[in-house]
Amino acid sequence: MKSRRLEQGGRIDRTKPIGFAWDGKSLNGYQGDTLASALMASGQQILGRSFKYHRPRGIMSAGVEESGALVTIGKDSGAEPNIKATTQELFEGLEGFGQNAWPSVRYDLGAFNSLFSRFFAAGFYYKTFMGPKALFGRGTGFWMFCERLIRQAAGMGKASREPDPDCYDHAHAHCDVLVVGGGPAGLSAATTAARAGLDVLLVEQDFELGGDLLNQPESANRQRKKLIADAQGQGVRVMTRTTAFGLYDHGVAGLVERVGDHLPGISQNLPRQRFWIVRSSHIILATGAIERQIAFGNNDRPGVMTASAGRSYLNRFGILPGERIVIATNNDSAYQTATELEDAGAVVSLIDARENVDSELIGLLGGSNISLRIRAAPLSVKGMRCIKALEYTTATSQGWEHGGVEDCDLLLVSGGWSPVVNLLSHLGYKPVWNREQACFVAPETDSTVFMAGSSAAIWNHEDCLISGQSVGAGVSKLLGCSVRQKKAPKAGGWVGPIKPVYEVAVKGRQLKSLVDPQHDVTTDDIRLAHREGFVSVEHLKRYTTLGMATDGGKVGNVIGLALMAEALGKDIPDVGTTTFRPPYTPVSIGALRGRNVGEHFRPLRRTPMHDWNLEHGATMTMAGLWHRPWYFAQQDEGIEQAYIREAATVRETVGLCDVTSLGKIAIQGPDATEFLNRVYTNPFAKLPIGKARYGIMLRDDGIVMDDGTTWRFSETEYFMTTTTAHAAKVMAWLEELLQTRWQDLKVHVASVSEQWAGCAVAGPKSREVLMASLDNEDVLSNENLPFMGVVETQMVGGIPCRIARISFSGELAYEVYVPSDYGVSMMGLLWGQAKIVGGCLYGLEALGALRIEKGHVTGAELDGRVTIEDAGLGKMASPNKSYIGKSLKNRPELVREDRPRLVGIKPKDRSKTFHAGAILCKQDQVSGMGEGWVTAVTHSPALGHWIGLGFIAGGHEAWKDTTAIVADPLRKEDVAVEIVSPHMFDPTGERMHV
Amino acid sequence: MSEPGVQRISALSGHYSTGKTGEVSADGSAGIVLENIEGLVLYQAAGWADTMGMVGVQIAKVAKAVSAPGPGQAVVGKRGVLLRVEPMKWWLIGVAAPEVSPEHGTTLDLSHSRTQIRISGPHAGEFLNRFLPLDLRERAFPQGSVASSVIHHVGVTLWHANGHYDLFVPRGFALFVWEGLVDVARQFGLEIA
Repeated sequence: MKSRRLEQGGRIDRTKPIGFAWDGKSLNGYQGDTLASALMASGQQILGRSFKYHRPRGIMSAGVEESGALVTIGKDSGAEPNIKATTQELFEGLEGFGQNAWPSVRYDLGAFNSLFSRFFAAGFYYKTFMGPKALFGRGTGFWMFCERLIRQAAGMGKASREPDPDCYDHAHAHCDVLVVGGGPAGLSAATTAARAGLDVLLVEQDFELGGDLLNQPESANRQRKKLIADAQGQGVRVMTRTTAFGLYDHGVAGLVERVGDHLPGISQNLPRQRFWIVRSSHIILATGAIERQIAFGNNDRPGVMTASAGRSYLNRFGILPGERIVIATNNDSAYQTATELEDAGAVVSLIDARENVDSELIGLLGGSNISLRIRAAPLSVKGMRCIKALEYTTATSQGWEHGGVEDCDLLLVSGGWSPVVNLLSHLGYKPVWNREQACFVAPETDSTVFMAGSSAAIWNHEDCLISGQSVGAGVSKLLGCSVRQKKAPKAGGWVGPIKPVYEVAVKGRQLKSLVDPQHDVTTDDIRLAHREGFVSVEHLKRYTTLGMATDGGKVGNVIGLALMAEALGKDIPDVGTTTFRPPYTPVSIGALRGRNVGEHFRPLRRTPMHDWNLEHGATMTMAGLWHRPWYFAQQDEGIEQAYIREAATVRETVGLCDVTSLGKIAIQGPDATEFLNRVYTNPFAKLPIGKARYGIMLRDDGIVMDDGTTWRFSETEYFMTTTTAHAAKVMAWLEELLQTRWQDLKVHVASVSEQWAGCAVAGPKSREVLMASLDNEDVLSNENLPFMGVVETQMVGGIPCRIARISFSGELAYEVYVPSDYGVSMMGLLWGQAKIVGGCLYGLEALGALRIEKGHVTGAELDGRVTIEDAGLGKMASPNKSYIGKSLKNRPELVREDRPRLVGIKPKDRSKTFHAGAILCKQDQVSGMGEGWVTAVTHSPALGHWIGLGFIAGGHEAWKDTTAIVADPLRKEDVAVEIVSPHMFDPTGERMHV
Repeated sequence: MSEPGVQRISALSGHYSTGKTGEVSADGSAGIVLENIEGLVLYQAAGWADTMGMVGVQIAKVAKAVSAPGPGQAVVGKRGVLLRVEPMKWWLIGVAAPEVSPEHGTTLDLSHSRTQIRISGPHAGEFLNRFLPLDLRERAFPQGSVASSVIHHVGVTLWHANGHYDLFVPRGFALFVWEGLVDVARQFGLEIA
């Protein structure tokens, strides 16, 4: 292929040269070039190596269907593999690299693979790596052994293992009409709809509007400009460099906008790409058509490309792609290309597979030196690294026969056109075969998606414009606009019919004819699959990997189907078609994740005292979405020393703990009491004002959902607290009950979790500390605020607060809540007093230690499998009232005596520890699922050794004087333990009642 | 209850500084202006199915508004703003809720539960659609519109006020959302007021 840049012509700007590098070599192109066109103009022929056989590959197309020039752009962390050079806009400093080759794509030692190509046929892996069993064991052992070697020898480009340095955006847009495709049909459709008064969004994957007009001679540019000006004049919103990669229900489309892929140095403020979700009323697909190849020998050699690509490189990029060009076709579309290439200086010959060619086409060639052979087709390409000549065939009544050899440096092929119906297929519509046009077209649908232009198999340029206008007007009418609609043109538009040709072969000739070049799927692979019993196209696809490469079957699917149909003795429509699925073209994972990465991978929830906690030495941990203090280390303390000290300090003096994350729900209304009485298992009907009550709520199926305290402030006002983990679930549950089951109850619920900042003040000196922090300390006396009492009062400075005397630690303790913006002030007041009495700040780890000593349950125990009896709280299930879950909690399986029950766990050897998650087994039966499990473990400062909570069959009474084993198969540590009551410290609760 | 003598500390306090950053245009103008509105006064008022009218009259009176808004709407009164955030619930911005009999409805102080972020500038709508899936075109979401939506799983309330949008974000998520807003706003040119 002796390509060269022409002195003039094309849409490139010769006054703006662009320097770039290809495999380390400095080259030049112009603004308006793609990487492929710049490489072609620079004389580069081998740009890639094939997947399995490492066959040399060059440019095969000028668009998204490219299967040869797959390259890597950028290096190190910014390297992106498998980019189609035909769609990569050239920019200053671009660094492109060949891939899947060593040392380079020009001289690749991997080409050695092709010598063994007969062994790498379809199903190679399945057949080869099933054994030998004796050496590698059952199943895939041998495969595992070979995989690394094979992965190195075959494949595409390699992605960087470094973090992606770029940022990506997400965005949403709405419109009345989404038009996909900025060619003649798309532009005219968009203009028509916008003129009717609709809000139209037009997206185009190319960096220029115009579609096929871009590939036509300069004379077409005037019309292109007018179409664009008309669209802009009617207010059409236009997005170029934007691919609609998927269509979804209800007018939703997924787009990727390449914001910075064409810029030499992108601002840190801009995303590299932007992922759009567009919601539209109606969609017009003017997505064009893709020219097909024909399967013949070595049809993947550098120098073989589609005829439309040849036209594009000539007219758009000002390149003469070859000097001696053969154009092989079976339809009309290549004739204009032939004349234009000859006009540009090439020696051109045409071979047409058809028996007859219309006189109009013959006339088109009149006055030129283009030779025309009819009833001829390409058989095999001569040349190892690039095309030197074409061996062609002629048609006889017996089929194809050797016709002759013609020297050439470029072979352009047009095997027909496939309308791009991929996006409609995403919605589940099966394309239908149009026999006259030899292509799949969109079926009649009742959807709000419409096809226009060549995507509806309309080949004539003027008809495409009318098609766009007609569809645009039709959609406008559906949306209530008053417009005149032209009659839509029918599919077709060539002067002579196409002759379907999918493969050219002669008897007795062994040819390497590629069907899917990206995955090195050959015609022989298709036939082999058929011989091995694959009759379904879906199975064929998976067995041969046809259409499963990055082009998604754009190039090879129709040929593959045709060959399968021939092998089965069926027509193409009877074989079926594969389903196109999103994405239409590959989408960066980065674009899908957007900015939801690193610390923003998931929402981070901070308490009002977050910064205060950090300033006071907190090490934070995640509790759901919340960041909570884990421990407050002093000097050289690690977590273990810190939490043991903190828990001990709470037992000795006082500790402060940020408990803002607890769920808080306002329950209001005349029926609030009745509502709570139905939700909780224990009675709430007689809870006095100014008191709190611990409550358990069950799911409908009788399993415990959550626990917490509920405070009563008036006849109609309650303040419910929930666990941190279940706050949202409980809130949604209460709303559901009110909105679906008990609409008669006059109750409103509202989350006030964010309204109140909370602090637990726990320890013997908690009353002293809290009193000193209040405006009126009398409210806190034992008489005024007894155990489970609640009060609304003020802290020093007039900060409103609500206090409940409740305890999770087992000590005299209070929960104090202030409006969130006063959270820091509250902590300042409390900490000032706590320091005076030798108190401490404590975190989640100490909180856990204290509650484990007391046998208080949390989400670790209430894990969705536990009944109220299992949790040791059966006495809270009222027999005298109805509540959610009451009936189903009495199912036989849930009331068995041998169900696992909450227990305390102590190591027999007090110096030993064990781990949460381990299983509890009988001493002489350490196997299987065991008799129970461990939910929580801590070192108990109060008891001086490690303890745990867990569940074991029958509960602690059943294990009295019986040793159990904490079995930890993962760590291979078994510890003998005694099973005790979960209330391991101050079981009568004396300390919290002082 | 009188205001405490202690200053309120916003969720964003100490986490931003005012000024311009990002792709500010040559004339120094920013495409997006973000402002943390401190000292939010926000009350919720709710009625029962048969008392919505009565509660509406009461809250319109305290806000000095012509009437209480319907679903998805806001009404600006002389003393406060009313947002209809749920079928049976209003928010009162800038004014405390009136006394409402439990037989008629409920009121609730939520002033500390949300962080109010004001978004203005020529690209405010486009910017918000970087996060929100709402149709913010003028004909779909004109001034006076209110909607509940999500920003990266965080439930937010959006009010299209006169010349700006106000975003009400749950306080605990406010800094997380703010960081995201600032990050994306830089491409438009950002001014933090």
